[in-house]
Amino acid sequence: MKDAKATFTRRGWLAACGAAAYAGSAASADPQTPAASAPSAPVAIAKVASYDEDLVAQFRKLFDQIGGIQSQVQGKTVAIKVNLTGGNRFEGYTAGDTHWVHPKVVGAVTAALGQLGVKRIRILESAGGRRPDYKLEDKLLQGGWDVNAIRNAAPLVEFEDTNGLGFGKQYSTFRVKTKPYIFPAFQLNHSYEDCDFFVSLGKAKNHEEMGVTMSIKNMFGVTPTALYGGRERIFHYGQVQAPAGATAELDPQSNRYEGWRLPRILVDIIGARPIDLAINDAIVSTCGGEGPWVLGAKPIHPGFLVAGRNCVNTDTVTMATMGYNPRAGRHEAPYRLYKGPGNHPKEQLTPADERFQYADNMMLLAEAVGIGSADLGRIDVRGVPIAEALFDFEAFWKNQMPKEKG
Amino acid sequence: MFRIPRDVRAWLPALLLSPALSFGAPDNWIPARWTGGPLELARRDKAGDAAVREAIANWYDPATLDLLRGSPINCLLVPWSGGAAEETERRQQELVKAYADEAHRRGLAVLGLVYPGAEPARFVRAAADARLDGFVLEGTFPAGFAARIDGPVVIPQIGESPSARNLADMGIRAAPSSEPWIQSNVWLVRAARFSDPRKPVWISYRIEHAKEADYLRAIADAAVAGGRWIVDLDDGLRVKLRRGDAGALGTWRRIADCLRFAEDHSAWRGLEPYGNLGIVVGTGSEMEDEYLKLVARRQVPYRPIARAHLDAAALAGLRAVLATGLAPPTAAERKLVRAFAENGGLVVGGPEWGEIPTGEPYVERACGKGRMALYRSPDPESIAREMRELLTLKDAGLIAFNVPSVIIYASREPGGRRLLVQLLNYSDSPATDITIRMSGTFKTARLVRPGAAPVALETSAANGETDITIAKLGLWGGVVLEGETP
Repeated sequence: MKDAKATFTRRGWLAACGAAAYAGSAASADPQTPAASAPSAPVAIAKVASYDEDLVAQFRKLFDQIGGIQSQVQGKTVAIKVNLTGGNRFEGYTAGDTHWVHPKVVGAVTAALGQLGVKRIRILESAGGRRPDYKLEDKLLQGGWDVNAIRNAAPLVEFEDTNGLGFGKQYSTFRVKTKPYIFPAFQLNHSYEDCDFFVSLGKAKNHEEMGVTMSIKNMFGVTPTALYGGRERIFHYGQVQAPAGATAELDPQSNRYEGWRLPRILVDIIGARPIDLAINDAIVSTCGGEGPWVLGAKPIHPGFLVAGRNCVNTDTVTMATMGYNPRAGRHEAPYRLYKGPGNHPKEQLTPADERFQYADNMMLLAEAVGIGSADLGRIDVRGVPIAEALFDFEAFWKNQMPKEKG
Repeated sequence: MFRIPRDVRAWLPALLLSPALSFGAPDNWIPARWTGGPLELARRDKAGDAAVREAIANWYDPATLDLLRGSPINCLLVPWSGGAAEETERRQQELVKAYADEAHRRGLAVLGLVYPGAEPARFVRAAADARLDGFVLEGTFPAGFAARIDGPVVIPQIGESPSARNLADMGIRAAPSSEPWIQSNVWLVRAARFSDPRKPVWISYRIEHAKEADYLRAIADAAVAGGRWIVDLDDGLRVKLRRGDAGALGTWRRIADCLRFAEDHSAWRGLEPYGNLGIVVGTGSEMEDEYLKLVARRQVPYRPIARAHLDAAALAGLRAVLATGLAPPTAAERKLVRAFAENGGLVVGGPEWGEIPTGEPYVERACGKGRMALYRSPDPESIAREMRELLTLKDAGLIAFNVPSVIIYASREPGGRRLLVQLLNYSDSPATDITIRMSGTFKTARLVRPGAAPVALETSAANGETDITIAKLGLWGGVVLEGETP
């Protein structure tokens, strides 16, 4: 992920961010018009210096700040899609520090939900092991997680690898309730349906192909590769069509460039499986890429958490707290990219519709179909103000920060 | 003609019967490269650091032997001959002779390092006169060179400096599932000990700009599977040691402590490799070493099986066999290995073992009660990675979690129920929150580490599996598991 130029707009955004009226300035600075009808719900920010702080108290406070969730979760089954990825790590850091959601965040969310009277919590992720006795817990242990601590953080905590049928007998079909961009429906593990309240618990970090990843991008991992096969071929690049048993895409002739395609598929996914609570962990994170396997990526300590009931609102606020203009377009950081030629098909390096590599802004795409507003001026930000929690990912990555915060 | 220590005399009959001319060092020799004198200076860049040259020139001052007081090191490797000018070699040998006399008085063995260009007719007689205990050949020599040496000759294994590095740090854009690149000699020691269990294995390499942790890792890396690293001090450390620098002396003490830990646990060398995966070796395949190295790097425990001894007894107790080296298998091998699968085992092989559908790189199919996993173009890297996907806990025997920069080596008492799982961390950062899951129920687990008292580890057993968690591992530890219940 690299911003080749076009930093002017981002700087303008940062300058606006420093002013009290940052939200309105940002909106007016962007050529795209915010969709006035897209929903908006409160989003709360907490400054958290380390994972050793009392995170349960932090989440209780964040949940209160966004209006409370007890009435929604008490006596209910809550599913939490956690954000894991490759197990490699930066020297001196755990995977949970930098590119997975941190286990203490998962434990704290679980405990906080337990305190709110949740009947059952299911921790979900597509762990992806082919080993016959492979379980999600194995993937968590690979990251050094204390699985038993999470299991004991609430009265009934279950884990399920959703990369296939898991404990279910068939896939659940989720129709995209908003206007679909690419896929009208998805087939997912039963646990995404067998829950009353759904949480996307993401890591806020940069991403080589998407620019940024937060609670919406976290949802990419709900797609079961046991059914769809490799995600790159079918979703990123559209090289193959959906297999038997999976819903086909609407137009196989549409743009195959992943920077165009994947943000739209992600919006389709959240249109199919709506998120009831979005949480982004940026206490420690990574910039310049989504993990240590991306050349140039490095660990950072932004020191904040964000939570909200609307995932688009939440990611919008998170992105602003990362120092980016949440309404940024293809020409701006973090969406103007440089992808390594060694690990992408040649045609993915030269989009047909642009002269440079890019990713489209998935929040704006989600806003356009009415999932949530990406306009900071319309979002009620609570807790710590953005300007106080702001950590400029791009400047840190480019060594333009005078010194690291925290 | 040579001064032969008692242990070597006890060994001589075996040596005389040995088809190899290379001579195994006595098992209790703990070697250090102890280079100095004019020959060593002649072999180096003349423009080198003045302090280093001074230290090397005067290294055979008997005072350097004082460094060895209290150290387990008892065998010094000193430059003896290397095709240098006759006068240089004469002065070197004269200096070494006096130093060797003093070393012998202190109970130390002295071996002469021989480099390419040396002429046996010249250096052997002088070595007898100096009462050297043998020779170590270092470098590439003409065929039959060792046979021309009348005396014990050690040919060490050439190893590589152990380390773990992220691929991105090496400028390689890796996959999300990639793990650090670990350079380790554990597989090399295992391979050498497998080919001749009687012969001690010495691993030779120099670590440039070594930190203290590098020395300790090098010692552990060789010792884990029962070998010894030829201790080789960095020039900077040697200069400081000669000056009596407190920091350098502290490092030297900790090197000695690590060596002592290895020797205090020399009984570990007598344990047999543990693992339910057998890898067929001795096949002549160029890839054989790579399989041994890379499967170890993926922390999958295995036992090598010599192709020459591949029979039903060799496969007994195994749950999986990696047979890619049998390409093609003989009719008898095919029958034997297929029967292993039909009886419930997993066979991993190449296209010689069955048809692979057109266009598919891989097929896994049932075979009787077992499975065959066949690869169109098997390569060690991908097969090693696949082992983690193919082997269940029961198949593997143990699975280690959160150990990307750690090599695991499991062994057990022959016929016994005590199991040892050694872990060696190749990263400079501690390995944390490690879980070892064993197939089987063990009552107790104890972690033994250099420089620390043994600690009991909590075991969590259920459904025929036992989990053990290690909160933090700096460098090297052995988990001793006991009380296995059937």
